[in-house]
Amino acid sequence: MEEERTTKRLADIDWSVLSGPRVSRRTMMRLAAATGAIPLASWLAACGGDDDDDDDDDDDGGTTDPTEADSGGSDDATAIDEPEDDEPTATSGQEISGTAAEATPTSDTEANQGGTLTMGFGTVTQILTLDPAQVTQGIVAGELIANIFSSLVQFDENLGVVSDLAEDWTVSEDGLEYTFNLRDGLTHHNGDTLTAEDFVYTYERTTNEEFASPHANKLNLVTDITAVDDLTLSLTLSAPFAPFLAVACSRGPGRALTPISRRAIEEMGDEDFGLSPVGCGPFKVVEGSREVGQGLELEPFEEWYGGRPLLDRIVIQIIPEPSSQTSALEAGDVDMLNIVDETGVELIQSNGDLVLVQAPGTSWSGLTMNFTRPPWDDVRARMAVSKAIDREDYVERTFFGLATPGHSAIAPAFGWVYHADDPENPQAYDLDEAKRLAEEVGLDGTTAVLMALSDNSRAQEVIRNAMTEIGVEVEIQPLQSAALNERWQAGDFDFHINGSVVDADPDDGHANFFYSDGPWNVYGYNNPEADELMNKTRETNDLDERRQAWLDLEKVLQTDVAYAFLSHSIDFTAFHQDVKGYRNIPEMRYMETVWLDR
Amino acid sequence: MTRYIIRRLIHSIFIIWGVATLVFFGLRAIPGDPVVQFLGAEYSPEAAEALNKKLGLDEPVYVQYFKWLSNTIQGDLGDSIATGETVDEAIRTGFPKTISIAFVAFVLALVIAIPTGVIAALKRNSWIDYVVSVIAFIGVSMPSFWFGIILIILFAVRLNWLPAVGYSSIEDDGLWEWFKHLVLPALAVGAGFSAILMRFVRAGLLEVLGSDFIRTARAKGLSERSVIIRHALRNALIPVVTIAGIQLALLLSGTVIIEIVFSIRGLGRILVGAILDKDYPIVQGVILLVSVIFVLANLVVDIIYTFLDPRIRYE
Repeated sequence: MEEERTTKRLADIDWSVLSGPRVSRRTMMRLAAATGAIPLASWLAACGGDDDDDDDDDDDGGTTDPTEADSGGSDDATAIDEPEDDEPTATSGQEISGTAAEATPTSDTEANQGGTLTMGFGTVTQILTLDPAQVTQGIVAGELIANIFSSLVQFDENLGVVSDLAEDWTVSEDGLEYTFNLRDGLTHHNGDTLTAEDFVYTYERTTNEEFASPHANKLNLVTDITAVDDLTLSLTLSAPFAPFLAVACSRGPGRALTPISRRAIEEMGDEDFGLSPVGCGPFKVVEGSREVGQGLELEPFEEWYGGRPLLDRIVIQIIPEPSSQTSALEAGDVDMLNIVDETGVELIQSNGDLVLVQAPGTSWSGLTMNFTRPPWDDVRARMAVSKAIDREDYVERTFFGLATPGHSAIAPAFGWVYHADDPENPQAYDLDEAKRLAEEVGLDGTTAVLMALSDNSRAQEVIRNAMTEIGVEVEIQPLQSAALNERWQAGDFDFHINGSVVDADPDDGHANFFYSDGPWNVYGYNNPEADELMNKTRETNDLDERRQAWLDLEKVLQTDVAYAFLSHSIDFTAFHQDVKGYRNIPEMRYMETVWLDR
Repeated sequence: MTRYIIRRLIHSIFIIWGVATLVFFGLRAIPGDPVVQFLGAEYSPEAAEALNKKLGLDEPVYVQYFKWLSNTIQGDLGDSIATGETVDEAIRTGFPKTISIAFVAFVLALVIAIPTGVIAALKRNSWIDYVVSVIAFIGVSMPSFWFGIILIILFAVRLNWLPAVGYSSIEDDGLWEWFKHLVLPALAVGAGFSAILMRFVRAGLLEVLGSDFIRTARAKGLSERSVIIRHALRNALIPVVTIAGIQLALLLSGTVIIEIVFSIRGLGRILVGAILDKDYPIVQGVILLVSVIFVLANLVVDIIYTFLDPRIRYE
């Protein structure tokens, strides 16, 4: 028993958990084998280009940062950076630190129905659109749209894929055929019946070129989508794609196939739909409540298949300024914060009325060096830079220690492949070696332009200081995000700190950056061996093989210094003691189980 | 007078047109493509092209300019690129908030500045005068965002008297809620303004109190109260009105940072967000409105002079 519990905790994201009780074991095994999906919130197609610590609107800053608050009480809080040997393991999805134990998801008290919960919504200054197919703000997808829209599947606390609108599903042995059996009696918020046909329409809408959905590429491999009957949807892929369920079909991240009501679009048009959509999830948007930069209100959707959510109303109030977020929570203006900025963690932890919850990060951040510009085309130069950076110090000074030092692009949330310790990491901090390499390549006196967003440059300052040790003079160039994106696309920079934010699967954070023709590979990385290994992670049906392919790839990327990997974020949220029933799913805020103990 | 006002209004149109034109071309000279911004850096060239076309950004800038000008004259300010809401809507939701903050800040500033300024002048060089001066000095020097955060921590978090963030409209929640939400932002934004005003009231009053007509008024045996309020203060207010006019306009722009601290999406926040997002239509629309406000505020100030000092006449 004890052993079983331990195993479960260590292996939150392990395949056997994924095959959990909610869907038949057999189905889940087949699913797991065919997909490799260890979901996590995915979204954020456009997430790559920003700084790890930026809060800019358009990229979801969801993840600002990483790790481990000091472990207020529960031992588990440190699990994030503890190695736990290299079993497929690690980071459990829910660490509760701060005051808290009793305020966790499972409370003994019986759930009350009713009440209004006000949620302070941070990291964005305005919600650009609520149309799933158009959302580029990842945080809006996972934490807001996920409450307005259901999708084929959703995530559980252990990041397993479980049933949502699809009661169950099968995936063929070769990973090409997906068949979803929908629940009976589903409806959209406008009262229309939701059938397999809606998914076909959604597919057509998302992939329509004129519609220019940023998520259309998630459906590139789909060669056929058919409504076999009202309750049966079948999909055919041209090649097996391990993370397909997570990135295209999940509640929140799976924006590309989140079902849209055709009648609603025809009546409202795309723009009005984006402002106040007709969804099919547990909550619906209160008519007329949406104000672009101020927030909106949600009310329960009585006909949701899962039953009426417990709250009577959720008021989403946008609070862009981190110090104001914390104040609003402390003052009781809001009951909950969707995201806690690292600057607020300590205050919240020290306040006995509040509960701080953390989940392992799903992102990575690193320093890219432009391979097309000498001397950065020389691996020794890049290695010198990487080895001159003390990750512990970087995390301490950039995130006040509230992040996980990084050594690769595999985020801690992917416990089945992530390993916190990497004794053989060729990029590990070693100043003597860095100096030796720098001398060998003649880096002394080199200048490098480090392109950065203008709003926060803590990370850049730390790098600049570290570089003085090896004689490289870093010039920090602050830019607004539009200009930065253009320069990034044009490959016009020496250094830049960015990474992937809020990934559904390691695939998200790798393919874009490291394939020699990846859309984010603007810095000139090209290694056929890496391409080959990435292909392997997508094609293999064998779990151990897939894991091994990721680890091999990790080593290649480290050795090539594709990036100088720096850190991983931690997902923090907080609420008052009387908020109960919160399910801690990294990067997501499914609110239907939440209730108020008042 | 009427002719003067009409003439001023005609001038104003040219000023506003000039500002709008500068903004239109200035925006396009700033690096950064709105379409790239909107699609995110992972955009595909096809999507960018389609969006450029949809937004009319593929046309030569002068064509865009004349289209925009003609639409604007017809009252159509266009749609936001980033959010799809109309510019009208953004202004309609943002303007009342900014005006509310500015209005309450203005009133609070006057309520604080005039009495303290008068007392400081009457008790010149006393300890009261010094204390008021020091407070005013602090008020001017204090960054409003910092003061805003301090106010939140004190009155919202510690004392729990007032809400920390947000805005309540009069229609939805009534006058009291509206006011409660505005007190802290208004104080934060109005502190510096109040301090400046107070210094002007004090200086103006001191100057006037030394003049002949005040001596005459006193000689006539008027009560001190009547001398100060009816005669001295009224004359001392002329420079105050000038400064108030300028400051009111500044107040409207000065609320930007306060709107961020207090999570109120007024015009300032809309404008700054739109500039960062390269959301041309919103920037153009909001700047147009702000320039109209500046011009009108100046006009109103000039007209108020004539009431305060009948010697001032415009022809």
